[in-house]
This record gives sequence, structure tokens and C-alpha cells, in this order.
Amino acid sequence: MIGGIGAIQFKTAVDGAESASPGLLQGGVGTQAGESVGSTFAEVLGQAATKTVNTLQGAEQMSIQALKGDADTRQVVDAVLSAQQALQTTIAIRDKVVSAYLEISRMSI
Amino acid sequence: MEPVNLFDLATRQSQWLAVRQSAIASNIANANTPGYPANDVEPFEKVLDRTAVTLAATQTGHLGAETANAGFNVKPEDPNGAIMPSKNTVVLEQELMKAGEVRRSFELNTAIVKAFHSMMTMVVKS
Amino acid sequence: MDALTAALKVAASGLGAQSERLRVVSENLANAQSTGSTPGADPYRRKTITFQSEVDRASGGSLVEVNSISRDPSDFPIEFQPGNEAADAKGYVKMPNVNTLVEMADMSEANRSYEANLQVIKQARDLISMTIDLMRNQ
Repeated sequence: MIGGIGAIQFKTAVDGAESASPGLLQGGVGTQAGESVGSTFAEVLGQAATKTVNTLQGAEQMSIQALKGDADTRQVVDAVLSAQQALQTTIAIRDKVVSAYLEISRMSI
Repeated sequence: MEPVNLFDLATRQSQWLAVRQSAIASNIANANTPGYPANDVEPFEKVLDRTAVTLAATQTGHLGAETANAGFNVKPEDPNGAIMPSKNTVVLEQELMKAGEVRRSFELNTAIVKAFHSMMTMVVKS
Repeated sequence: MDALTAALKVAASGLGAQSERLRVVSENLANAQSTGSTPGADPYRRKTITFQSEVDRASGGSLVEVNSISRDPSDFPIEFQPGNEAADAKGYVKMPNVNTLVEMADMSEANRSYEANLQVIKQARDLISMTIDLMRNQ
């Protein structure tokens, strides 16, 4: 439930930017070094999004365990705090991606 | 297993905790009443098993129609230890310990709800 | 009435009952030496209190209330005090059937129960407060 929110917001922003101007998110210098670098910027963002979703889902699972009555309090607190941090970071990145895309789209060619 | 809604589960648990608190209050108030059996509410796991089907659905008006005990069974617990001649089975220390557990669970419950609620609103604000 | 408010009501009834109990104990202690005023007369007879539980319809909680305040029927102890105005022909005076030690023990029990009820009230109040706090600081 909660994890879906993070994923939707983020994936949409990344996919939208990618489809509007293909190659925008491909690193310029980076990919010239070839596949040995491994990942495009889009993939990095995608991995970050997945990690966030996993953290959120982990926090949700821990909380459900806690509500049912058997979970270590400190673990629950840690999980929820990590989830909040991850979500905050993701949202900041999302906002930056969106504003960067808008700025670029406003650039005159 | 069906996905469980976190907020619904939290609401259900907080109601269960409130009923437990009132059972503890009755026990403590009646600690010197002859013949009074110490009561406790059925364990939360049992409640979940019973209402597994209905938990997933949202039911705004449903819970309001129930009595103060919100559909949980409150019944005398098995007395362990000596049975007093007055047939009163309340042990004050145990009741206070139970009250401490209720408090801890309640604090965790409200903190979890608060945290997830703020996360959801965080996402919507930009 | 929701369960937490019911808990408050029940604990308040507990406070009332234990206060009554303390009142009875202090009466007994105050009159532990109260002999009669005429020769052979009966002295102060110890009071006892019993509780009963009653299910409150509105809240579903078991309130406690005083069942009755009655007198201890046990015999009066006798002391030899020929100068006492209540002394009979042989100089013996009937003393109240109050045992100070028993009363003191009862008093500390009543205090303990009173404190426990007070704890319940504090906690129920805090739990209600926490629930309302969820809405604050938006």
C-alpha cells in the first residue's frame, strides 16, 4: 500500500522524462566509456526507486508485525525512520528531476 | 493471505487495547470485592483470526454500532496461584503490569499511525 | 460510551469505595479506646465495610460500590480498670473490639488500592490524550 505510492511518483517522473526526450537521461561522457560503466542515469534512478520501495514495504511489514503484538520495538522504530528518510530523499530527487526536465524543455535551441 | 490495511489494523488494535484497559480498571476497582473474578479480554491474535475476512474492507459506520466492548470477548481469566477464601482473584501487581503493557502498545500504535500518515501526506505535497 | 471513558468511570468508583473504606478505618482507630459511660455498658463496636460490584449499563464496566457498613459481632475484650466509669462490680471494663494492628494493615491496603485506581485514571486519561494528539501538528 505505502510502497506503491513511492514507486508511482518516482517511476512516472523518470519514465516521463525518458520518453519525452530520449537520451536525455543517458550520461553523455559516461556511456562513451562503454558498457563497463554499467548503468545509465535512468537505471541508477530506477535502482534508487526500487530500494526506496523495498524500504517502505519493509517498514510496513514491521509495523504490521508490531500491531499484531510481536516485534521488537527498536527494530520497528528503526525501520520506520529509514523509510521516512528514504521517502524524503526520493521526493527530493523526484522534484529535482521534474524541475530539471522543465528547465531543459524551456531552453531555446 | 489478503493484504492488510495498516490503518485499519491499527484502529482495531487500539480499540482492543481500550477494552483491555477498561477490563484492567474493573479488576483494580474490584480488588476487594468478594467473589469478583479477574477479567481479561481475549488475545488479539484470536480477534484477528475471527475477523480476517472483514479486516480488508473499509467499514466506516460499522464499528460505531457496537457496544463499549466493540465485539471483543471479555471473560474471567484462569486464576493461577492461591485462591483466596473470598473467591476474589485480582492480583494488583499483575493488573498494574498489564496496564504498563497496554500503555506501551498504545504508544507504539499511535506513533506508527502518525509516522505513516505523515509519509502519505509528504508524498502528496510537492 | 467508549472503553477508555468507561475505564475512567470504573476507576473513579474504585476511588470512592476505597475512600469509604479509609473513613471506616479511621473511625475505628479514633474510637479504639472509647469505652461506655455507665457501669457495664458496651463500648464502641468495630465497624466493617463490604463492597459489591455492579455492571454499569451505559459503559459495560464493573463499577464497585459499598454494599454495607455493619458492625463486627466479635466479643469485647475485658480489661481490669476499677477506676473507669464503665467498670462493673468486679472492676472489669469492656474495651472496643478494635485491634489497632489490624486497622493499620487495612489502612495500608486501602492506600495501595487507592493509588492503583489513581494510576488507572492517569493512564486512561493519557491514552485518550494520545489519540487526540494524532490530529495535532498537521
